Amino acid sequence: MRVLVVFAHPVETSFQAALHRTVVASLTKAGHVVDDCDLNAEGFNPVLSRQERIDYHDLSRNRQNVDPYVQRLLACEALVLVHPVWNFGFPAILKGFFDRVFLPGVSFRMENGLVKPNLHHITKLTAVVTYGGARWRALGVGDPPRKIVKRVLRAQIKPFAPVDYLAHYDMNRSTDQTRAAFLQRVAVAMERF
Amino acid sequence: MRALVVYAHPVPESFVAAVRDATLDALRGAGHEVRLLDLYAEGFDPVMGPEERRRYHDPVVNEQPVAEHLALIQWCEILVLVYPTWWFGLPAILKGWLDRVWVPHATFIIPTAEHGPLPAMTHIRKLAAVTTCGATWLVSKWVGEPGRRTVMRGIRSLCHPRCRTTYIATYKMDSSTPDSRARYLAKVRRKIGQL
Repeated sequence: MRVLVVFAHPVETSFQAALHRTVVASLTKAGHVVDDCDLNAEGFNPVLSRQERIDYHDLSRNRQNVDPYVQRLLACEALVLVHPVWNFGFPAILKGFFDRVFLPGVSFRMENGLVKPNLHHITKLTAVVTYGGARWRALGVGDPPRKIVKRVLRAQIKPFAPVDYLAHYDMNRSTDQTRAAFLQRVAVAMERF
Repeated sequence: MRALVVYAHPVPESFVAAVRDATLDALRGAGHEVRLLDLYAEGFDPVMGPEERRRYHDPVVNEQPVAEHLALIQWCEILVLVYPTWWFGLPAILKGWLDRVWVPHATFIIPTAEHGPLPAMTHIRKLAAVTTCGATWLVSKWVGEPGRRTVMRGIRSLCHPRCRTTYIATYKMDSSTPDSRARYLAKVRRKIGQL
């Protein structure tokens, strides 16, 4: 399959970067074609501008500043997000990727005032996520990033497509063993993707 | 009390700008000392770069890139965020403000084997979010209101243990009418005035 991997962490020596390398290597090994989108390395600007906001619902103009990203999203058959959770949500650079690229006419369309999903070409979705805090603490705040993946993104891709959420919680108290086990779990999931 | 309003919308003539003005008026009317932080007008960069991330856990050093903003949140006793809800959450510029400014040690104490994260912004006693949503109330609830929870539970957990929260949202913005918008502005004035 053609898989778009969207990665959001600035430091190349981080555990997240190791997860990212594992995801790309394991998918490639399994024979998938990977489009590796490293938002920080590509210098993606997550700030929706005044003109973009004004043109947001104008399908002929709204994608002109982000067209390469729109094309990559429309060309993929599966989507893998690799990111940390910062302050109970996506890092800003990934949040801005949704704000600016998941546009009307791209990820959804408006029909008679109703929102219709528009990413039915995506047949599989996986998120590989690390949290600083414990799982119960994430649940206590409602686990916003998990809800976006499991509810919002799931509703836009192909109906009944598998959605997998691989998370390592409690990074602040993680050990070499827990990190190695999680890397292994991610490698296995990607090789079987 | 000392009130900080953090505002995030790119279009100066937008409805959210009117919501911001209603918020500021209501706070001033109630006798609070008010400061406004306009993230778009400041050209705030929400992306945490590699150097900043490497020093993220270093006390004091991690405060340097955002010292002015950190001073503002250390100054205020009331914090009000005014923003549009995009993709059920905060606009990236506001999310990045949380990522970069609410650093460990200064705003919370990193969890250890003995304890979980502890709040360090206990001077904030009132926290409010004022936001416009494109989605309906029902869809917002079904998705679980990620933006609301990020602020009302996440940021709230770093504030005073008895910090009071207020969430003032309007839904179906894309089919709003002059009447519905006027009602919402009146509600914002009333509820923010009572903070």
